[in-house]
Order: sequence, then C-alpha cells, then structure tokens
Amino acid sequence: MIRIALKDLFARKRRLVTTGIAVVLGIAFLTGTQLLSVSLSDSIKSLVGDVYSGFDAVVRSPRTQETPFGQPIRTQVPAGLVDQVAAVDGVGAAVGVVESPGPEIVGNDGKVVGGGFGPPTLVYNWIDDEGLRIGSLRQGGPPTTAEQIVIDFRTADSLGKQLGDELSIATTQDGVRPYQIVGISGLGDDGSQSTGVRPITFTTAEAQRLLNQPDQFNFVAARAIDGETQADLAARIGEELPEWQVLTGEAFTAENQEQISQFVDILEIFVSVFGYVALIVAIFIIYNTFSIIITQRTRETALLRAVGATRRQVIVATLLEAIVVGLVAATFGLAAGFALATLLLRVLSGFFTISSTVPSLAGGVVVLAVVIGVGVTVLSAVIPAIRSSKVPPVAAITEVAVDRTAISVSRRIWGAALVVGGVALIGTGLAQTGPNPLYQVGGGALAILVSVAVILGPLIARPVSRAIAAPFSLGGLIDGRLAGENAARSPKRTAAAAAALTIGVTLVTLIAIVASSIKASADDAISSSVKADFVVATASLTSFGAIPADSADAIREIPGVAEVSPIRFTLLRLLDPVGVASATTATTVPAGQLGAPSDAPPGEDTFALGIDPASWFDVVDSGGLEGSPEDLTAGTMAVERKFATERGWRVGDTIPVYFVATGVQPVRVAVIYDEQLGQGSILLPLATFEPNSLPLFNTDSQIFVTTEPGADTAAVKAALDAQFADIPTVSVQDLQEYIQSQTGPINVFLGIVYALLGLAIVIALIGIANTLSLSVLERTRELGLLRAVGMTRWQLRRTILIEAAIIAVFGTLMGLVIGIVFAGALSVAIAADNPGILTFQLPVVQLLVIVAVATIAGVVAALLPAWRASRMNVLEAVSSS
Amino acid sequence: MSMTTTPSGTAAAGAVDAVKVYGTDDTEVRALDGVTIDFERSRFTAIMGPSGSGKSTLMHCLAGLDRLSAGRVRIGDVFLDDLSDAKLTELRRDKVGFVFQAFNLIPTLSAAENITLPMDLAGRKPDAAWMDQIINIVGLADRLSHRPSELSGGQQQRVAVARALVSRPEIVFADEPTGNLDSRSGHEVLGFMRYAVSDLNQTVVVVTHDPNAAAYADRVVFLADGRIVDQMENPTAERIIDSMKQLGG
Repeated sequence: MIRIALKDLFARKRRLVTTGIAVVLGIAFLTGTQLLSVSLSDSIKSLVGDVYSGFDAVVRSPRTQETPFGQPIRTQVPAGLVDQVAAVDGVGAAVGVVESPGPEIVGNDGKVVGGGFGPPTLVYNWIDDEGLRIGSLRQGGPPTTAEQIVIDFRTADSLGKQLGDELSIATTQDGVRPYQIVGISGLGDDGSQSTGVRPITFTTAEAQRLLNQPDQFNFVAARAIDGETQADLAARIGEELPEWQVLTGEAFTAENQEQISQFVDILEIFVSVFGYVALIVAIFIIYNTFSIIITQRTRETALLRAVGATRRQVIVATLLEAIVVGLVAATFGLAAGFALATLLLRVLSGFFTISSTVPSLAGGVVVLAVVIGVGVTVLSAVIPAIRSSKVPPVAAITEVAVDRTAISVSRRIWGAALVVGGVALIGTGLAQTGPNPLYQVGGGALAILVSVAVILGPLIARPVSRAIAAPFSLGGLIDGRLAGENAARSPKRTAAAAAALTIGVTLVTLIAIVASSIKASADDAISSSVKADFVVATASLTSFGAIPADSADAIREIPGVAEVSPIRFTLLRLLDPVGVASATTATTVPAGQLGAPSDAPPGEDTFALGIDPASWFDVVDSGGLEGSPEDLTAGTMAVERKFATERGWRVGDTIPVYFVATGVQPVRVAVIYDEQLGQGSILLPLATFEPNSLPLFNTDSQIFVTTEPGADTAAVKAALDAQFADIPTVSVQDLQEYIQSQTGPINVFLGIVYALLGLAIVIALIGIANTLSLSVLERTRELGLLRAVGMTRWQLRRTILIEAAIIAVFGTLMGLVIGIVFAGALSVAIAADNPGILTFQLPVVQLLVIVAVATIAGVVAALLPAWRASRMNVLEAVSSS
Repeated sequence: MSMTTTPSGTAAAGAVDAVKVYGTDDTEVRALDGVTIDFERSRFTAIMGPSGSGKSTLMHCLAGLDRLSAGRVRIGDVFLDDLSDAKLTELRRDKVGFVFQAFNLIPTLSAAENITLPMDLAGRKPDAAWMDQIINIVGLADRLSHRPSELSGGQQQRVAVARALVSRPEIVFADEPTGNLDSRSGHEVLGFMRYAVSDLNQTVVVVTHDPNAAAYADRVVFLADGRIVDQMENPTAERIIDSMKQLGG
C-alpha cells in the first residue's frame, strides 16, 4: 500500500513540485529570516561590544524617558562630573563622552547622507585617553581645531573622501559648512570594523557646541586601575556619587546590544509576515490539489478497496504522500531560506561589518522547517484523505471522474452560521456593546471571510462563473461559453482555487482602503486647518530639528511674509491619574546598574508641540478656544478638547508633567482648543518648552509661513527657496507638498503591502495553474473530442485561459467585496471611538489595478497548462479511457 | 456549402497506397500496408475486420486524426498529408463529421449546443432549416436543452449523429457508433445514418465489427493485416458473416 502511494507520487514529479512550491516559499521566508537574525544578532553584538570595549564603568544622569524610536532619551551630565569620577578610588582615568545624533553629513550630490531609514550619523568628541577612546585611528591624527574632524573608514570610502579632504556638514548653528578630515578611524583593535552608523568625531568643544550642550557630556566613561573589577569600580563610584546612575562597562554594552537587537527583531517579524502569508495560502492550494487528485483517483482507490485495502490503509497512504510532499518542500524551503539569508547578509555587509556572510545553520531552524513543512501539508491533506477512504469498492466499476457532489447541507448550515455569527459580532462591535468592539469587528470579519471564501464560495461559484463568462461568449463565441461552463462545473474546485486569491486580495483591499482613508483624513485635516501658505520643514525623518536656528528671523525679513510660526517637537510624560493608570514602563533595574535609579515616575508618554502662542492660532485653525493665547505663558500649556475631556482637565488645572531635562514640573492648562492637527494634543508655548527640553529637541522642526494679502506668493516661495537652497536638511513646501510629506510614510507602508499582495498572488496563481493542469488532465478525452470536431489549438488555449481568468476574477472580486465591506465596518468602528479621525475613502484606481493585476496574472498562470493541453495528441486523447 | 450539388458518384474521400507503421525495427507493426480505396459520394460504406486489422487506423488517417507513414489520403479534392495542424483542424471542422463509440459529447454543453459545436467553433450560423430537419429525423426536438448526463446512451449517440451531419460535411466517419448501445438503440442510430445517405445525399463511413451494423451499408470493405482483402456491394448480415468466416478460415 505504501509502495503504491509513493510510486504514484514520484510518477508525477511536476505535480509534486507545484503542490509543494507554496510551502517552499513559506518556509524559505520563515527560515531565511531566522537564519538571518541569528547571524545578524551575533555580528551586531560583537560590534557593539567593540564600540564600548574600553569602558569599565559609565556614569550618567538618572533622568531618562523611553521613546517610540527604541533609544531612550536622557539628560546630559555637567563637565565637572568628569573630575569627580576621576577622583574616585580605583578609577584609572575618566573622560566625558559626547554621543548624540544631530548634525548630518551632506553628500557629494548635495543631499543628506543616509536620510530616512538605516543607521544614523552620530556626533562624538575626541577622547585623548587611548583606553577609553571609541575605535582606533587608522590614519592621520586627532582634531585639534574646531574645523577638524575624524570620520570612520566606511563613511570615507562611501563618499570617496581621503585624509585632508573637506566634508560638508549640515548644522543648526552655521548651516552647511565644510570640515577638514584629519583622521580616519574604525572599530576593533586594528580599526577594521564598522557598525554602520556614521560617527563624526569633533573636538570636545565643537561637538558640544553643535549639540547645544556647552560644558555638558552625554555620559562619563571610566576605566579601572589594574586589578580592579568592573563591579567593584561601579560600586565604589555609585557610593561616592549617589545622585548619578552608574553602570559597569558590560552592563552598558548589554543595554546597547539590547536596543539594537530590537531593530533586528522588527526586521525578522516583518519578513516573517511574508512567510506566514505564503503558508496560509499554501494550505488552500495543497488542500485543493489533494482533493482533486483523490477525486481523480477514485477508481484506483475503489479497486484497492475492492481487493482488500482497509479504510485506514487508504488514509495512511494519502497522508504518507502528504508527508513526502511536506518533507521535500521543507528541504527545498530550507535551502531557499539559506540562500535568502546569504543574499541578505551579503547585501547588509555593504553597510556594516558582518562576521560571516554565510549564515550558520542552527538545528532549531531545520526542525522548524520540517515541522512546518510536514505539518502544513498533512493538515491540508487530512480532509481529502478521509474523503478518499469513504470511496466504496463499487466505484471501481462505475464512471466517476469529477467531484460533482452537491453542496452539502452541513456546508450550507456552517456557512450561514458563520456569516450570521460574523455579522452579529460586527454589529455588536459597531454598537459598542461588548468588552472590545475592535476585536469583535475583527473576529466577525474573519468569520465571514472564512465562510465566504471557503464554505459558501462553492455556492456562488457556479452563477458567478457564468456571469463572468458572459462577456466572453458574446456573439456566440463557443470558447468563452465552454470556459464558463468548465469553471462552473465543479464549483467546489473553482472556489477552492480562487480562495487563495480571495484571501490575499481581501487583506490588500482592506489595508489599501484603510491607508487611503488615513491619507484622505490627514489631507482633510491639514487642508482645512492649516492656513499657512508655506511650511519650512526638516527634510528627513531622522533629523529632529535641523532647521538652522536663525531661520525664522531670516524668513520674517522676506517681503510679503505676514506671519512666521516655528514649532518644535518633544516627548513628555503625563503624571495625572489617567496617565499614571496607563503607565506601561517597566521599573526593573538591570544587572550591573547602580547608584540612582532612573527617576522618571510612572506615567503616560506623549508627544507635545512647542509653539509660538502669538502666531500659532493664526497659522493653524484650532477651532474654538477656551482661554486666550495670551495666557500661554511660562509653565502653561494648551490642550485639545477631547483629550482634556477624557482626563477631566479644565482651564486652570495644574498637571504634573515629567520632562527629561528638568524632571517633574507643574504645568497649568491655560487654553483648551477644539481641533487638533496631527499629534498635537498638547501644545507648549516656547516659554514652557525651551527651559524644559533637551538641547536635541530645542531646535525648530517646522516653520509655518503665511503671506500678506495680495502678496506675490511666487516671489515669497522663490525667496524661501533661495534662503534654504544650500541646506539639504530643510525643504520649503507649499500646502500640497506639506500634505504629501506628512502622508509619505503611508506610501512606504503601502509599498510593503503591495509586495505582500505580489507574493500572495504569485502563490495563489501557482494554485490556479495546478488546478487547471489537473483539470486538463481530467478532461483529456473531452479536449480530444473538441479537437477532433474542429477546435483549433488557439481556440483550445483561449478556452483554458478564459477559464483561468474567470477563476482569477472570481477570487479577486470576492476578495474585493469582502475587503471593502470589512474596511467599511472597520472605519465605522474606528470612527465610533474617534469621531472625525477617519474619512472613509475608496482608492478606486488602486483597487482597479489590483483587479487587473490579479486577472492578468491568472491568465499568465494558465499559459503552461493551456499550452500543454493544446499540444496533446488528438488521437490518443479521444481513444484514452 | 455546395457539396450536395456535386454529382454523386465521384469520391468524397480516398486513400492511395496508405501505409502506417508503428514502432521501429523489432517492434515494427504495419497497421496499414498499402491500402488504396475511394469512398463515393452519397454512399454508406462499412469497414470491417478483426481486431488489429487496421480498420480504425485507416479511419483515423482518412479523417485527419492521424498521419500516414507513406501514401496519400484526401477529403474531397484536398490531400491531407501536407496540411499543417491548423489546416487539418479546419478541415475536420468543416468537411468531416465524427461519431465515436463513446464519449461523443461535451458534458457541459446542452444537446443543441453539442450539435452546433463545429459550426460555433467555425463561427458560423447553422442552416436553420437543415438543422430542424436533422433534429426531427433523429427525434431529439424535445431533448435539445438537456445535458448529455440527462440523456440515455442511445439519445447521446443520436445527438452525436446530428452533430456530425449539421455542417453538411464532405463525409461522416463513425467508429463503432453502436458498440456501447443495446440493439434497439443501435438500429435506430444506424437507421438515421442510412436515411442521411439515402434521403439527404450524405456520405457515411462506419467502422464496425458487427455484421448487423455493416448490413446497413451500400458496400462493405474487409481489412485484415492492414490490407483490403475483400469488398461486397449491397451486403446482408448473412453474406457478411459468411465472408468473415472465409476470411477468418
């Protein structure tokens, strides 16, 4: 029995490949990311270890706050602390270290180097003590004047710079200006390593000046005298300087490694999503393939049963076949994953040093591949296997080829029950009558998706197939008619072949609509509230406030400019009862950290805007105001009405707020406004913002500019452009450009989603091709007859291509409809929670493109089966039995 | 379609020195070994012979379903041997009618659609009067909207005969058309073919091993080992059986 199953399997190698290919893809993505992240984590950990390898202890401020960017923000330490640390027993040497983002490198093309994603440009100060210096000099010497810098070899190489060359750096103090490269450095003992960040080392005074932190360091690093352990040294410093936070060098390195590996984790999760999508779609394809094979094999199975095979043997034989498919797919998937990881590592090694460009094959990954490969395949084959065992021996002598069984009653009941249940869940979710409306809507949507795609699909496959075929059969075209009937003849098969596509398209439609709605909402909000004619904004997401400090004043001098309103961004922590209740910050102290614990009390982290109260409400329509902008003096803030209402804040209330720079401060609510722009639920007048913010955030991030009535806006724009022509960190935007820049990240997100669609479509198409191949095989005699009575090869090909198009359109339309319904439900649910936040918008063009792409791809998928069918020998086909 | 105006008596199809060889060297089988034959218009010919005699091969080659190893075949005045697959397909569609032993119909199409299939494939409208006439003769007027699975075996073969005739082909080939039918249905089907020849001036060639079926023909051609071994005009079942006995002995 087992031999029979295996023989059959290997006799059809092509089917083995097409059945397993979806699993291969899924496993490739999953194992590839695992292998990549293991290798990457190892490399990054060893690199980060290299950066701080000379540190035995680090002394820093306990004033810190977590941020959504991964790296916490922390206040600086005074220069005087260096001597205090140096005086502690056991300290061999202590130095102040400047380490911060801020200035950006301007490339040879006049643009910011590495603007956007990826490792940042960091400012360091030159450290004389060789033991504590970060990295080693490969060439040249230290910077001795303010105009001199040391950069790392990889930055130098990528920009084609050599010792003695000049490098342009964008600063907020002096705009873009040249610095002279006097040294080239690298990490590790021989300076041959690089973490991928672009370190620029200035003299200490220049580094501090560029970061607006004169006489301040980001932390103090110390090295021990011989015979002193890191733990003893840290403990001693902690005792002597209890108001500061002290870490052993190892703990400091571990903390940094931890923060960087979070990024690796995100990368891993991101790529894994592709793997999971592939596997989910794979389940449908394997299920459908096995169902068809088993139906076609009915006679064979019946014969086996007739000569004495038990039902159990039949099931085992089928499952065995699935196991073999799974094993083969797992093996190929693992190989492909290995290749993927190797490729990605090679690409990444262009950015930073990687210990090995070949991933290490961990045993766990192999087990994962086999378990998932076999698991998914066997799971998908269980139902077909059980069905095959139910074939009665008498079927051996009756003519059964196609699964024409009616849609069973239980299927109707289950399908209806799931739809009703799903609708009920969505309904109650929308009516806000449950513990978690969003989850209810989501769960209901899932139930409907499963029901429609899997259970009810076959019910509508027949009429819908015929309807789609109708335009193809106009004018009595027989191939269109035949294609429609072929798609309709086995609705279960058509629905199952289309289900994979349905799921992919549903996901993408849903996300595309939500994204488009978010964009439309942002568009609405900005265009209705922003009254500025131009916005001067930092060009990249990573440069916090990169607008030169004197810009606002310079803009005021431009003729025709009416109002100039700069804004800044910062993070703060709300310590009101609502904020404290929603605190999520962990308060565990990591091993190796001594002295003062982090002093931020638990509370809710939120963004705040720093504004100029005299002009802000003129450039941005904030709706009705309670209180006057004139009341926004030092120690006050303005709050958006909904935000204030939820927390029970009223004008005049004083709220405790934690600032990283200054600790807990009372801030009084002076104004409550009705409409907010973007994330601006809390506005701090600059009088409150400036003294309470870190230097990093105390630079203008955007400047809103209005023109005088009747002014020549083109001339103003030209003047603004001229003003910032040489500063690549700053862009001058009109309102439309500003809207685009604000919604830009959504486009990046959409790009990823479309890549996902591409993957799901490719896999779904393999499924359609598989189904059609099997159908063609099954219809050999019929196709032979058609050819015999005069169907040309081209007509036959057209028939099969149209059938594929029908299946693809069926799957896509189902996905489109479900996706639109879900997006509608979701936006209602979101709007119920946050009125006005989401404007439901159908991205018609994108949706049409999705349909077109899926349909064309469906036809492409059928090219091979169609070609093969058209080449078959007519005589053999008509005389085959 | 001017075929019916062609004077009867000239050949609708024919083969000259037809040779068909399967396999090579040791396994070589000469299925046709120099067959020369003409099928005259408006006549009903039966090809008979034991299994392996080459009768099906001859029919397949004549109908453009298979190609000769040597020799020539023609339908009307078109020689098939040099035709491309596309031309051959067109020829089958327009000039040849087929009735197979079983599986003659496309299961997804109704009886009426099956009948007009060759015309639809050619993108032509069937001659309505001719079609009505044929449908009435085969007695399917009330079955036209049925699918093949809803028809009896005899009804299915009658639909196949109607399809073979509807485009007024040069010639109709039938390969064991009654092989799967009970005798009453078989006689009905053969009766329609006889009628088509006698009253509608069609040309029919039937391959069969059943003497009773062959007795419907105007002429019987006997094949054995790939050669024509005997011919008989105006046969009866008894004479055919006698002749077969002689050939077999």
